[in-house]
Amino acid sequence: MGRESILKSIKSNKPELVELPEIDLNLFAEEIDILEAFKSNVKLVGGKLKELGDNEDIDSVIRELYPKAERIVSQLPGSNLRTVLITKETEPHSLEKIDLAIIKGEFGVAENGSVWVSENQFSVRVLPFITNDLVIVLSKKDLCLHMHEAYKKIANRDRNFGLFISGPSKTADIEQCLVIGAQGAMSLTIVLI
Amino acid sequence: MSHSEKAEIFNKNEAKVNWHDKALWFVREKRDTAAHKVKGWEELRNLASGIKANVLSNLDEYLIEFEENAQKNGIKVHWASDAEEHNTIIHKILEDNKVEKVVKSKSMLTEECHLNPFLEDRGIEVIDTDLGERIVQLAKETPSHIVLPAIHKTKEEVDTLFQEHLGTKPSNGNPEYLTNEARKHLRDKFLKADAAITGVNFAIAETGGIVVCTNEGNADMGAHLVKTHIACMGIEKIIPNEEHLGVFLRLLARSATGQPITTYSSHFNKPAEGKEMHIVIVDNGRTEQLSRKEFRSSLHCIRCGACMNTCPIYRRSGGHSYDATIPGPIGSILSPGKDLTKHSSLPFASTLCGSCSNVCPVKINIHEQLYAWRQIVTKEVKQPVVKKTILKITGVALSNRLLFNIAGKSARFMLKYAPRFMVYSKLNVWGKARELPEIKNQNFDDWYKVKRKNNG
Amino acid sequence: MKVGLFIPCYINQLYPQVAIATLELLEKLNVDVYYPSTQTCCGQPLGNSGYEDDSKGACQLFVENFKEYDYIVGPSGSCIYHVKKHFDILEQTEDVIKVRNNAYELCEFIVKILGKTDLGAKFPYKVGLHKSCHGLRGLNLGSCSEKMDEHFSTEEELLNAVEGLELMSLNRKDECCGFGGTFSVFEEAISVKMGKDRIQDHLDSGVEVITGADHSCLMHMEGLINRDNKPLKVMHIAEILNSSI
Repeated sequence: MGRESILKSIKSNKPELVELPEIDLNLFAEEIDILEAFKSNVKLVGGKLKELGDNEDIDSVIRELYPKAERIVSQLPGSNLRTVLITKETEPHSLEKIDLAIIKGEFGVAENGSVWVSENQFSVRVLPFITNDLVIVLSKKDLCLHMHEAYKKIANRDRNFGLFISGPSKTADIEQCLVIGAQGAMSLTIVLI
Repeated sequence: MSHSEKAEIFNKNEAKVNWHDKALWFVREKRDTAAHKVKGWEELRNLASGIKANVLSNLDEYLIEFEENAQKNGIKVHWASDAEEHNTIIHKILEDNKVEKVVKSKSMLTEECHLNPFLEDRGIEVIDTDLGERIVQLAKETPSHIVLPAIHKTKEEVDTLFQEHLGTKPSNGNPEYLTNEARKHLRDKFLKADAAITGVNFAIAETGGIVVCTNEGNADMGAHLVKTHIACMGIEKIIPNEEHLGVFLRLLARSATGQPITTYSSHFNKPAEGKEMHIVIVDNGRTEQLSRKEFRSSLHCIRCGACMNTCPIYRRSGGHSYDATIPGPIGSILSPGKDLTKHSSLPFASTLCGSCSNVCPVKINIHEQLYAWRQIVTKEVKQPVVKKTILKITGVALSNRLLFNIAGKSARFMLKYAPRFMVYSKLNVWGKARELPEIKNQNFDDWYKVKRKNNG
Repeated sequence: MKVGLFIPCYINQLYPQVAIATLELLEKLNVDVYYPSTQTCCGQPLGNSGYEDDSKGACQLFVENFKEYDYIVGPSGSCIYHVKKHFDILEQTEDVIKVRNNAYELCEFIVKILGKTDLGAKFPYKVGLHKSCHGLRGLNLGSCSEKMDEHFSTEEELLNAVEGLELMSLNRKDECCGFGGTFSVFEEAISVKMGKDRIQDHLDSGVEVITGADHSCLMHMEGLINRDNKPLKVMHIAEILNSSI
């Protein structure tokens, strides 16, 4: 039973070795404005977008976007919005009532408006899901064209937990009607700096 | 009951059929729009298919590599030959951790293994946390679609169901209200759960990590709150390297719902501090399917559901008419491999139009496999005597010109001169809703003999 | 160039006008056409029903009938597809390979082999084209809506060259009509529903005449149209291309 029998069965049933194809990136290369594509795809997936102006600072922009948020976790260095401090030791259930979480995005992907974030940017894994609203701060310089480039960028990361987030949590499970805000964050705003 | 009998019942309510057809066609159109935006879409499909073919040809090695790397990262790996072993392993893990309440995100594998009733019988509460799956769980039904599990239910039906089980107010089926009430209900379940079970979209041999894709965030809400996370995967979920995710994640959501990517594509590589992560690798008939040369590539499937959305039969017969865990075209080539007699009508639930093969992101030749299963079904499953006899005689007549002439002439004679009540009797299924062709005085042979004397 | 005319069994018996139009059209295009009188059927009804083995006699007879011709041309995409795709059940002799390679659906033969699109036909009606699945997805007569390839259509090329003909655009460009051979009987409910939905699309699109390169689909839709008395006419594409109204 189990491991040995499965492996044995595969060995006797599998076909001759088929070569692994190479991914030829030339097939997918495109000359497009990556920033514009990213912005339009963030909107397509239901995300909000705020580009930081020259004289604006991040804190006040976020405050304006979420004026009612009281319990705020900010994992952004230098942010003064934080009202709840979390560490690696924080019990995840205690984040149940968090109104707003602010984290830094590592990079965005133009083709689908997603942002790669990893455990390095938030102390507790459940944070970006359990928070009512989520803000990801992302530098305009940190954008790539598509998922092939994205995986090159994270090839040498510290592999613990990470994810691509594309827009707020959503569902269309009731009669195909799109509803924003399923089990994860109700809204996602990307602040581009 | 055969697919056609169930489909006939589904078709008694034409308005619902129309709704079901349009809802799924809309998803198909969204898929088209999304795919059109990707430069090199067809090349991506080729790549995905090629990668999967390589995986199947080296599956044992990749699984060993995956296990080794996962274990290095502190993940516990289990192997299950069949559904029962899968269920027993999971139950053991839960028992060892004194788990009473489990939240589960979508996993067609656990549906296939009938995990929920197994655990419930042993006193463990299992809550499906994908909204669609929660709906069918409350209704004591099974998913009718692998991506849109409750697509067969109207919003009014969901409204009534939620009033009964979640104590919601009547809302005329307001999707926002109902979704939000479900959110509150499921939040409570997430917070009280002791363990989480998720599926696996991709398992990467090179890293020993897994990727789980959801739109709702339910897999992550479950997995990150509990101490014990169990992920269940069929052996075919393996891909060689992480860079291959670039190919599959570009295809998956676009094919499934027309989104450029799912909201959350979570990469689990290591359990968090103080937590446990288990992966259960399951065969349950897959290695047998691997042995079938003609049907092997059905194991390429990444469970996007695109073949269901495009299938004109699926859209008009509903997922439950297939009476299988995986419905639709892909289910119709997977299920006969598990129980040929039970699922013998499924390969015939198709016009072989080929649309399924064309939308398939991993290029499974679904309609050709349906044709191939038909050849096996007629040999190995007892066929209705009338059908079998007619087709056998046809075979003889078609290989003999004289018999062919007699058959053609007598059929034409009957159609032309028999009274209408005889032609359109109950035995003539064609004529229930369709007229038969009007019979001309001559067939082409006769015409040709007269008009083109010098030829042939 | 010697062409063997292949007339599918049901067209021979039930739709001789389609066979005649096909023959006349090829003759008009100066093709040297022969009609082997001992032909029967390609074996498709058996294969699709799961009785491929019982069709070997029919397939072999097909090869015998057509092996001497440079091309085999027939007015039915699905039959030609069956020859090309499923004659792999026969021993692959030189004759079998030759027949499989040289079998052509009528439209494809005219456009690809003869290199002609304007056949001098006149047909002043609003026409809806039913792209039959086996011709489209099997023989690649055109681009399919599921694929991201560039648009092309063999039948559209021919129809667009017909004087007075207005080709109407459908909501669903290439959805199956639900005929599917024995599917039309064994899955009657779905088959009828699919056919009705296709017909409605043509009606909604202002079509007067439905045409296509596969008469089995047309027979199915015609049966529904006639039962429900819908204001639509059904004609094989050969009849339109051969007309000079």
